[in-house]
Amino acid sequence: MEVKTFEGGAHIPHYKSFTEDKPIERMAAPSEVIIPLHQTSGAPCEPLVKEGDKVKIGQKIGDCEEFFSAPVHASISGTVKAVEPRMTYTGKEDQCVVIEADDGPQEFEMKQVRDPDTVSVDEYRKCVREGGVAGMGGAALPTHVQTAPRQPVDTLLLNGAECEPFLTCDHRLMLERAADLVKGAELKMKSIGARRTLFGIEVNKPDAIEAVNEQIKDRDDMEVVPLAVKYPQGFKSHLIKAATGRDVPRGARSAELGCIVRNVGTTVAAYEATVYDKPLIERIVTVSGPKVGKPGNYIIKIGTPLYHIVEQCDIGDLEGCKIVLGGPMTGLAQSDLNSSVVKSSTGVIVLPPEMVRDTMEYMDCVRCGKCVDHCPMFLYPSEISIYAEAEMHEEANEWNILDCIECGICSYVCPSHRPIVHMVQRFSPEVEKMIKKR
Amino acid sequence: MTRLINTPGPHLKAEESVSRAMLDVIIALVPVSIVALVFYGWYALFTIGVCVLTAIITELAFRKAMGKPPSISDCSAILTGLLVALCFPATVVWWKVAIATFVAVGIVKELMGGLGWNIFNPALLGRVSVILVPAFFGWLNVHLGGLQPYLGTVDVTTQATPLALLHMGEVPFGYGELIAAFPGGAMGEVSPLALLIGAAYLLYKKHIDWRIPVSIIVTAFVLSILVGANPLQYVLIGGIFLGAFFMATDWVTSPMTDKGKLIFGIAIGVLIVVFRSIGPVEGVAFSILIMNAFVPLIDKATRRPSFSDPRPTTATAGKEASG
Repeated sequence: MEVKTFEGGAHIPHYKSFTEDKPIERMAAPSEVIIPLHQTSGAPCEPLVKEGDKVKIGQKIGDCEEFFSAPVHASISGTVKAVEPRMTYTGKEDQCVVIEADDGPQEFEMKQVRDPDTVSVDEYRKCVREGGVAGMGGAALPTHVQTAPRQPVDTLLLNGAECEPFLTCDHRLMLERAADLVKGAELKMKSIGARRTLFGIEVNKPDAIEAVNEQIKDRDDMEVVPLAVKYPQGFKSHLIKAATGRDVPRGARSAELGCIVRNVGTTVAAYEATVYDKPLIERIVTVSGPKVGKPGNYIIKIGTPLYHIVEQCDIGDLEGCKIVLGGPMTGLAQSDLNSSVVKSSTGVIVLPPEMVRDTMEYMDCVRCGKCVDHCPMFLYPSEISIYAEAEMHEEANEWNILDCIECGICSYVCPSHRPIVHMVQRFSPEVEKMIKKR
Repeated sequence: MTRLINTPGPHLKAEESVSRAMLDVIIALVPVSIVALVFYGWYALFTIGVCVLTAIITELAFRKAMGKPPSISDCSAILTGLLVALCFPATVVWWKVAIATFVAVGIVKELMGGLGWNIFNPALLGRVSVILVPAFFGWLNVHLGGLQPYLGTVDVTTQATPLALLHMGEVPFGYGELIAAFPGGAMGEVSPLALLIGAAYLLYKKHIDWRIPVSIIVTAFVLSILVGANPLQYVLIGGIFLGAFFMATDWVTSPMTDKGKLIFGIAIGVLIVVFRSIGPVEGVAFSILIMNAFVPLIDKATRRPSFSDPRPTTATAGKEASG
């Protein structure tokens, strides 16, 4: 088996054994959901419901006229308790629809409304848009935006790398729902006019590779590309480079590269939106961590508050712990158990105090070069961090601060414990402003 | 209410730290220090003690004067003190090593902004600072001569150093001794084998990269043949091993990229041979210090293009396309 990869990056302990063998399981619906109206990298939605309204599961509750946006839907049936700003996963207050559950069944009824073999490309695009499908690997790009590229795209690259530690939701999905995944890939391929589909999967998931291979064994337009286990293998740019060998120059769109990358979970969600008219109201979330009583891969409704998950999964004392929504490298730490799961929440990771090492004081850069060795973008994070800290715009730009993909490896390896990515996140917008002024 | 930690990502962190790395280098210097103790007894212990103590006091004093918190726990002062000591013969007068250590920690490191900001290797610049002012030390030796303690006899101290013997072509040691241990010269030069054991530990811990030491030693080895020396004796005698594995590999004062490390090492190797060809002076310290000054230039010259700037002609791109 030829294993492909990219240059740089790092081997980070996986911690996947907590959940990789746990079959996908539905979590009991919460008594209340808090659904943010802004969950994608696109424009925020306007509410379509008001306090006191009765809503049904799957009903659209927020939408927006902008093209670069995806609607949101009620994930449970019940009564709208409030439409107001609440603390969201971003750590900021944002407009949310709060729904109180009624006593009825809270499961979406899966009834086939379209035949995947005959559905038209236009209809598929419409279903993806109306279903509120957005990138579920973390980027949260509204998916319909990428269903109609202007240039021909020869390759659809499905992202099953799942390179972040702890996460296993994509692994289980590929293993248990390989048939739907392949059907979903076929729909997507048709819509972008691609002639082949590549499944990029890290080799630490041999059962998933086998499951997908079994589904595509009679097709010559689909192929699994086994990838080395290395972080950040699942980042778009590095997945393209590894799987297709194509360079990814600054600012190039996937379509210009002849390659569109899509997360495997999103692919299945788009399939369900088309065939069953099922909007994106729930997703598989890996709930994991050494102290989690019942770790697993759960189907959790969008808007489920963290306190419900903490209760359901038997996560005991949280004193001094860190709860991360998403993967532990790029996810966001939460300070409030009232924040809720959104479309891009790949995981709820609970790190016990002994694993929380980033609260210590940091030192000056000692130029050890470890960040340079590991940077997958071939940058000099050491220099960038020094200039970002000193707020030296020209120099930071000269060292390509804007090329940073914020994967976090530099901060991970730094023996001086410098929060390099955080410095980049704070300073990059200022460098961008400086460049725009020119 | 439960206290949840909310700090920016990444939320995982490798178990590495500067203080741990410094401690590992100190551990790696234990074997050669033991050999020095065996050869020189109390003198070795006394000199190392003076240096480490001076280093700690100097760092505390400078940081206090500059209003910075103490940083003894990062172990860098202790390491610098030990390295300075190993650059001297065990029977050196104590005020000389104390001043060398003071210069290393106080001036070369702390006044430059502290660990990370120094351009030159502190221990080496401290070491050579006392060579550059011999008149001052002549004067000190006259006035402080009575303050040097007598700690027993050491029969090798009156001999010429092994390096001088090498220069005269009269090396009295066999190859076994040259590799394992032989007395004379600086404490850190008594046992290439002990240094190699320490270096192996640092390589295993990934604190140092093979490129710098190997390129220094190989360059010196090859060029020594050209100048008519016995290449094995040439690299085993003197400060090449100590310099190559423990001084030139200093994170702060060496290049960051692989290519830069090779250039740096080869240049040091060339300079060592040039210095040694001039006379029986050890050029290792000067060679490394001179190249320290070129590190920013080397880093700039060997800078690799960003992943977002693909240049298909570079070796990197070619390698990746085929892999």
